[in-house]
Amino acid sequence: MELLLLCLIPIAMAILVFAVEPIKFAGRLVAGAAWVQLAVTLALVHPVLFGWKESLRPAPEFQIDRLAAAFLVLTAVVIACALSHAHVFFLRELNGPHPPGRRHVHVIYACSLLFLVSMSAVYICDSLGYLWIAVEATTLLSAPLVYYSRTKNALEATWKYLIICSVGIAFALLGTIFIFAASQHGAIVGGSLRISDLCAVAPDLEYSLLRLGFIFCFLGYGTKAGMFPLHSWLPDAHSEAPAPGSAMLSGALLNCALFCIWRISQIVVASRHPLLSFDLNVLAGTATVVAAGLFLIRQHGLKRLWAYSSIENVGLMLVAIGLGSGPLFFLQAVNHSLAKVALFLLSGNVIQASGTKALGELTGIMKVAPVWGVLFAMSALAVTGVPPFGAFISEWLILARSVDCRLWWTAILLIVGLSLGFVAVCMHLGRILLGSPKPGVEPFRPLATSVIPSLLVLACLILGLTTSPRFFHVHWASNGFGM
Amino acid sequence: MNLTPYEMVGIGAAVAAILMVGSGHLRVNLTMYALQTVLIAVETGLYAYSKHEDHFYFVAAAIFLVKAYGVPRFLSWIIKHIEVRSDPGTVLPTPLVMHLSIILFGLSYLLACQLPAPGGHVLVLAGASAAISLVFTGLLMMLTRRIALSQIIGFLTMENGIYLFALTQTEGMPMMVEMGILLDVLGGVMIAGLLAFKIKKSFEHIDVTQLTRLRD
Repeated sequence: MELLLLCLIPIAMAILVFAVEPIKFAGRLVAGAAWVQLAVTLALVHPVLFGWKESLRPAPEFQIDRLAAAFLVLTAVVIACALSHAHVFFLRELNGPHPPGRRHVHVIYACSLLFLVSMSAVYICDSLGYLWIAVEATTLLSAPLVYYSRTKNALEATWKYLIICSVGIAFALLGTIFIFAASQHGAIVGGSLRISDLCAVAPDLEYSLLRLGFIFCFLGYGTKAGMFPLHSWLPDAHSEAPAPGSAMLSGALLNCALFCIWRISQIVVASRHPLLSFDLNVLAGTATVVAAGLFLIRQHGLKRLWAYSSIENVGLMLVAIGLGSGPLFFLQAVNHSLAKVALFLLSGNVIQASGTKALGELTGIMKVAPVWGVLFAMSALAVTGVPPFGAFISEWLILARSVDCRLWWTAILLIVGLSLGFVAVCMHLGRILLGSPKPGVEPFRPLATSVIPSLLVLACLILGLTTSPRFFHVHWASNGFGM
Repeated sequence: MNLTPYEMVGIGAAVAAILMVGSGHLRVNLTMYALQTVLIAVETGLYAYSKHEDHFYFVAAAIFLVKAYGVPRFLSWIIKHIEVRSDPGTVLPTPLVMHLSIILFGLSYLLACQLPAPGGHVLVLAGASAAISLVFTGLLMMLTRRIALSQIIGFLTMENGIYLFALTQTEGMPMMVEMGILLDVLGGVMIAGLLAFKIKKSFEHIDVTQLTRLRD
């Protein structure tokens, strides 16, 4: 019943939207549906979210625990914000120099809603098999978002996205089978794919199979999360999708893939050799942060810049997962998602107004549209973790936690990577905002296009001012590594 | 060494895959892929027969209908419309790739020996080495081919290998999961096939190694 409730509105609306011919009306309808979906999700998961209930079990193979509930709400918020902004974005596109076909916009709206359903499915699955199916479905349903502009570049990006992610996910399927096989060696009669069962009997799982399974799943879902060096699809896809699509990919999809890694890590942490998850996640996370910091320096495209910044944040979240802290993982995810969605939406505005994505040709946004400029600067600083925005606290806690665990090199490398990223972003930011604008750059409804980004920036600010680090001390004690 | 029919069919699928990479002609590739998938459907049927698990008959029928009949028909329709007959390959010449995949078959046997044997299951080694070999062959095909369609066929071969591995090592996944995976693979092939169409139309070739416009 709850499952039906969770997917009914988006699926119904995804079919219905094709019947609504005026794009303007279709956009409003879809955005409304996304907000209603957020309300439904909240109504469904609030007992778990507030800790009144340990977990919800809507159906035998499904379970919603507190972290999953928090991510469900975050995903619904991201999609609702992106779709609300998409309404204005596509109006401008249709009046712009290269108007897309009206059908294409309908397809984007329908796919976004189905994409939301598939992502919600990832968070509520208790079975590794269903988890895999849901993740593969997110790839298939988001491919049309990347292919939106129908250009050669979009085609190339979509092809790479589909093939690289599908092959990566195929490895995760192999890993899932290894873990299933591991459970058949005496732990559970006939084996089980249920994550809750597997965690309960983790010490009895056949370790060599579990280890193989974990490594394959880690690489598979890591590809989908954009972990270095398997990230090559990510900048292309983020750069070619329309701005609301990039916002959804970066703000919601990456969390989904990381959540899968979190689930698999939970099984390993409960097994006899918990350090495997710790080592692999922290190592991959640190490498990803440093690599992304270096890549950020020499970027030529505005959206590619933010794509690499997303990769940097994926690295940080991997480190948080490796440190075994769910709350820290979520805190970093929520701060990154909110700020990055604002940033991608604003980048969309800027790109529409100036007609180019090339960083070298974007200047003087501050003079063209001061509202955009201020919001742009604020959200870029929020993404890089400048106080008083929320990302500062989560990054600080991740660093503090890794020092607590005596991971000196990790802490040093993270600081180097983050500093590189910060300097690179500030350098590009200065060039975009300041200077004199190119002739002919005309902002489109600067106030209407700033509503959603300003709300998101405000949310980041509030998160930064109200999150108390002491809240996390409670969870530090239950660190499963005896450190 | 006496092989049971069950093992022979599994190894037959791996051999069909090796023969598949041995040819650069897309039609031959597709036929060998269909043969390999038919053998995997038969393997599933044999498994259902020997274990008396009736729902596997259903899985076998679904594999036959979707992966051994539907997907090859769809891909052959695309081959006809994009008018590409053969794949020149990338770095390695096609016969060499076939020899490499034979060596990988031997390696798969060694890898299968390392796996802990599942309880109560006899003669699992042949099935496991065939499965791992299929994964390797599929990967090799994806790495050494230029044409988008060969990449799709390579991916499908890999997926067949993963399915065979699940069947022989874990006594099959739960049926709902199996069906969901089948649906996802079908969706993936449809989208990839349509994209291949579009690549041909806008680039006037279908060589995915030349898709290098996007870079940092």
